[in-house]
Amino acid sequence: MHEARIAKITSPIVSLKDNYVRLIPISLIVAAAGIGSALLLSLDMQRFSYAYLTSFCTLMSICLGGLFFVIIMNLTRAGWSVTLRRIAEIIAMCTLPMFFLYLPILVPVLTGSDAVYVWNAEGWSIHGTEAEKQAALAEADYPPPIEALKALYLNRYFFGIRMVAYFLAWGGMAWFFLSNSLKQDKTGDKSLSVKMQKNSTWMLILFAATLVFASFDFEMSLAPFWFSTMWPVYFFSGSMLSALATITLICLLLQRTGRVTDEITVEHYHDMGKLMFAFVVFWGYIAFSQFLLIWYANIPEETFWYAWRINPASDGSTTGWQWVSLLLLFGHLLIPLLALMARTVRRSKNFLFFATIYLLIMHWVDHFWIVMPQYTEITTAHTGPAAGLALSFNPLVDIPCVIGMAGVFVALFCLIARDRPLVPLKDPRLGEALAHHNP
Amino acid sequence: MAITVEPLGDNTIENPEERAPLVLGGLDYAGVTDKVCAIWEADKAPKIWWLVLAGAACLLLMFGACINHLLMKGVGIWGNNNPAYWGWPIVNFVFWVGIGHAGTLISAILFLFRQNWRTSINRAAEAMTIFAVICAGTYPGVHIGRVWVFYWLFPVPSEHLAMWPNFRSPLLWDVFAVSTYFTVSLLFWYMGMVPDIATYRDRAKSKMRKFVYGLLSLGWTGSARGWHRYEAAYVILAALATPLVLSVHTIVSFDFAVSQVPGWHTTIFPPYFVAGAIFSGFAMVVTLLVPARRLYNLKELITIRHLENMNKIIMATGLMVGTAYGIEFFIAWYSGVAMERFAFYNRAFGNYWWAYWIMVSCNVFIPQLFWFKFFRTNTIAMVVICIFVNIGMWFERFVITITSLCRDYLPSSWHYFHPTGIDIMMFIGSFGLFTTLFLLFCRFLPIIAISEVKSIMPSEGDHH
Amino acid sequence: MTEKTKSEVSEQKLVGLLAQYEDPGSLISACNHARESGYKKIDAFSPFPVHGIDPALGIPRTILPFFVLIIGLTGCAVGLGMQFYANAADWSPLFPGYSFMISGKPFFSLPANIPVTFEVVILSSALATFLGMWALNRLPRLANPLHRISRFKRVTNDKFFLLIETKDPQFDRTETESQLSSWGASVVEEVKEDLTDQQLPSWLQLAGLMTALLLLIPPVLIFRAEGMTNRKPRLHVVPDMDWQDKYKTQTLSPNLGDEKHPKFLFVDGRAMQEPIPGTIARGDLDTDSEYFRGIKSGTDAFATVSSAGARTSLQDDTRQDDAANDKPAEPNSDTAATSEPDWVTQFPTNVEVNLELLERGQDRFNIYCSVCHGYAGNGDGLVNTRALALAAAGKAQWTAAKSLNDPEIIKNPVGRIFDTISYGRGTMGPYKDQIPVEDRWAIVAYVRAIQGTGIKPESTTKAEEDAVAE
Repeated sequence: MHEARIAKITSPIVSLKDNYVRLIPISLIVAAAGIGSALLLSLDMQRFSYAYLTSFCTLMSICLGGLFFVIIMNLTRAGWSVTLRRIAEIIAMCTLPMFFLYLPILVPVLTGSDAVYVWNAEGWSIHGTEAEKQAALAEADYPPPIEALKALYLNRYFFGIRMVAYFLAWGGMAWFFLSNSLKQDKTGDKSLSVKMQKNSTWMLILFAATLVFASFDFEMSLAPFWFSTMWPVYFFSGSMLSALATITLICLLLQRTGRVTDEITVEHYHDMGKLMFAFVVFWGYIAFSQFLLIWYANIPEETFWYAWRINPASDGSTTGWQWVSLLLLFGHLLIPLLALMARTVRRSKNFLFFATIYLLIMHWVDHFWIVMPQYTEITTAHTGPAAGLALSFNPLVDIPCVIGMAGVFVALFCLIARDRPLVPLKDPRLGEALAHHNP
Repeated sequence: MAITVEPLGDNTIENPEERAPLVLGGLDYAGVTDKVCAIWEADKAPKIWWLVLAGAACLLLMFGACINHLLMKGVGIWGNNNPAYWGWPIVNFVFWVGIGHAGTLISAILFLFRQNWRTSINRAAEAMTIFAVICAGTYPGVHIGRVWVFYWLFPVPSEHLAMWPNFRSPLLWDVFAVSTYFTVSLLFWYMGMVPDIATYRDRAKSKMRKFVYGLLSLGWTGSARGWHRYEAAYVILAALATPLVLSVHTIVSFDFAVSQVPGWHTTIFPPYFVAGAIFSGFAMVVTLLVPARRLYNLKELITIRHLENMNKIIMATGLMVGTAYGIEFFIAWYSGVAMERFAFYNRAFGNYWWAYWIMVSCNVFIPQLFWFKFFRTNTIAMVVICIFVNIGMWFERFVITITSLCRDYLPSSWHYFHPTGIDIMMFIGSFGLFTTLFLLFCRFLPIIAISEVKSIMPSEGDHH
Repeated sequence: MTEKTKSEVSEQKLVGLLAQYEDPGSLISACNHARESGYKKIDAFSPFPVHGIDPALGIPRTILPFFVLIIGLTGCAVGLGMQFYANAADWSPLFPGYSFMISGKPFFSLPANIPVTFEVVILSSALATFLGMWALNRLPRLANPLHRISRFKRVTNDKFFLLIETKDPQFDRTETESQLSSWGASVVEEVKEDLTDQQLPSWLQLAGLMTALLLLIPPVLIFRAEGMTNRKPRLHVVPDMDWQDKYKTQTLSPNLGDEKHPKFLFVDGRAMQEPIPGTIARGDLDTDSEYFRGIKSGTDAFATVSSAGARTSLQDDTRQDDAANDKPAEPNSDTAATSEPDWVTQFPTNVEVNLELLERGQDRFNIYCSVCHGYAGNGDGLVNTRALALAAAGKAQWTAAKSLNDPEIIKNPVGRIFDTISYGRGTMGPYKDQIPVEDRWAIVAYVRAIQGTGIKPESTTKAEEDAVAE
């Protein structure tokens, strides 16, 4: 047992090195081409903004999941995951540059555009049509209109301040872990592990607090009248699942290209498979609970949100969104649930490669399902409900946009990783991770 | 076989290079067996055991008398009345079910997360779970009115009744959830105990004990093939019990949250109830284990590090509960719905402000003391804090149930809830049931999972 | 054969050789040696699961998970099916389902059925795991030759053992023993099975039989009770449930104060409050006079409504006064004939007279009316016949029920028949609280049909319907 503690890194290449550095300009070109063509092909700033927000939220939640992975592994003094932690640290570090990617949404908001967030419009109303709005105004003298109260929170200035605060907090935490972990690579100082563990306590609280409000701001406030206390947990469950998939996928890709071949073993993949399985279940649990409670109580102020996604339009015509909802039920929950159940499957690298890509696609579908019905709802006032999903899903806009966003992520990952080691070289628990074995 | 007297040593100091030892005092395999079996092999139980048992038995008698009175008189003897039709019985039910979550959590979830320190505490926690679920089940059991036809709760084909239960009702989900939970916990507990009962069997002196423990141990020999299947079954049961334990309190929360009552209908209830259950359950485990550890001299096995880890979990789940309180308040404001706003404003500053602030102080403020190592490692301090946590969690259920019901949509039906003497006596009496069962368990069954503790001990044979 | 002779001739058979090891490491190495030497029938015993022993002994992975998966999926189907059967399948002949509408949810509403389905899956899988594990391990097995070895008792404490069975083709008494010792065993011992006392002791068999017989008694008693009639009143286990302490409607409030300062539940001394005048319960706003009262809509609709309301309460009051004066209601209080309201002569527009309505009317008539008026409406119902017989013997007072085929009655407009059903006439009581409005109209239609036939109501023919349609 004691000899296992003398950790030896045996892989020939433990950092990205040249080929991957060359990947940076390529992925940047992909990013520019993807997002640019989405902008050009959508021919509409509002349409583009929604597609962009979908892709942004997908990637943002992955980075936040990575940050949570780092915090929780430090907090629980985890040994098995040490060799995976650096990759998660790099993913977490992407949260800070993600701020600049949010600017295409944030700047218009600050200048008063209501293209995405309808609460930013002058005299916005929770009521859809003008007639409903007038009727509500005529009726309401007490309590004061909900819009006026909500404006205390949902206004462009406070929104901007909050955004800056979130990204500073996330970036700061990610930087703390990455820098200390890199310092330990050089010095091997075991007190750094203790320091990271001690600080991960309050950081977890800070992370939870920022995640709660950020989840409200990014996506829940798209439908400003709607509210669900479960929302942050729902956002988190998807975010953690996609982060686990991303970490696994990156490990597989790195090992296929000859990096860190010895340190990440099938035992680690097995454990990541188990965690992914657990978070598939957790996502299903949270999504189902949220749905069940709203469906069962059937209160108009909440139910409309699901009605947009499940029910036919008011004229009886199908909106198409119910197929996306069913796709989530089967594709995001039941199929991965059954697929990841078997031990042999979780220990197969080839299978995991497809599984992670599949889960990431499903994660995007999840965010598409969250964001886009709002666009349908705004625009059906002009085109009629029959347009539904057909209006909101344009392969020429949404797919280039998400490919572009993936390009951004690859570029960011390579930029941050550069020639840094991809495993913590001198972590005191490295030996435990290397000797890790599933019973 | 002399029990070792080596110094204990402090295993709470953090050294990232080495995992802290979880069995102290230089105990070897035989030492662990002797230590745990000594409780059972002692000719006489400690005086204090008899004393507490006598007290608990008195409370149990009172509980029985109350239930008898209730069955004879009807539920009118409780304080439940319009509009608070759900009074103390449901508060107590949720309270006990919540406590009953820690055992399965420790045995299943911590097992899946490979937290080795669970081995010293899981047995007692599982037992506690079962006893708490028994206490919990009593309340809805006697609340159904005609107890003698309780089987109507289950889908029993009957020509007399010509009726089936309504499967769309969350109360029926509760029947299934709690009974499934009780059954699975019992199986898990018993299965985990079989190898240890075999230890008792092999050490039994009297004929009676040889017979009873021989029967209960099913002829266990500890064969490698047996262990292989046993471990596979243990993993499967853990994997089944984990979603089960989440589902139970989730479904209990559905009882409230599927309704439209402001303050009850909020989507975060499922995970928030689960976090609260773990919180109160762990607090109860600490409250029980600290005295048991002292009484039976188990400091080598239930070390300060075990207790410290539990206290950390208590603090973490306390923060989760606190976050949920915060989210609820924020969303009540953010929703803009007048009823929601009023419900939450009323909780904090209305008639029941005292209950609300007891809840917040006990659940959110007091556990913050666990940030300090002194409170995490001092046994008396931690028991005091854990008792506060349990008081707070009882008040949480009280606040949710009573404040929302007593201030519903119709101001003309507003009301102030008063418990009756029977309410109070039944609540205290349930502690008698719980304590009696736990004390009997301590005396006659292995309170520490002997074989599991051995499996995490360093195996080089240092002590031979 | 007595106990003594048994033990004297006890026949022992060698089962295998048991070697003791002091720590898990040496056990694993011994297992490896044994497997490499070609032994097949070997097993190791330890106080806790020793990691690394599975490959050392060559133990294959258990099939338990697949078994559990199959049972779990079955549980899922059973759980869903059970809920569908119970709440949505009222067509089934045996123990039919009971479809009741709850909060506007469909009878089979999948989201609401998920929790129970989930619990059934978990329960069935857990039982499968528990029982499957013991079954695969061939446990419980209480009589095992290993348990006879006193040294083996420490297998549940701190010692480790390796067993090589005689069944193994390579087994050789001396060779195997020396091999076991050379692999680091501290002791090697023979395991012997006692073949003579494999039977359960006779006292245990007897006790088992007795218990089984005793357990049969309660179900037998229950079955007996099910099939019997009993003239004694049933047992009241919990009397308060059967005779509840409560105040019924229109009773006096108890005096909650003392003699001098009486205090009642309500100021008027009743145990129950009247609704506030002018309140109308939800769904009870009956503005359609023709439909709800059988009176033609007057020139002033409001006046009709209020007068009808007044009439209702007036009638109730009269009845109460009558009761207070302990006089039976006079049979011929029908003095208001001169001030008859303007009854409708046609069925209201929203009552469609068709075969379905007539069948409904027949059904309701047979339940509510036929007891007095008779199935054919001739006034020869059982109650009426019996009461008249009693009255003739001077044992009761009774006003004969009218024959509906009486020409005087046939003359009545439908509105008046409706009113009679609603509020009663003479000794006939009001049925408005028992029979909903649409059913009262159905009865009226059916009464018309009977009157059309003259006598026989059984054969509802076209002619009757024509008569009804007037």
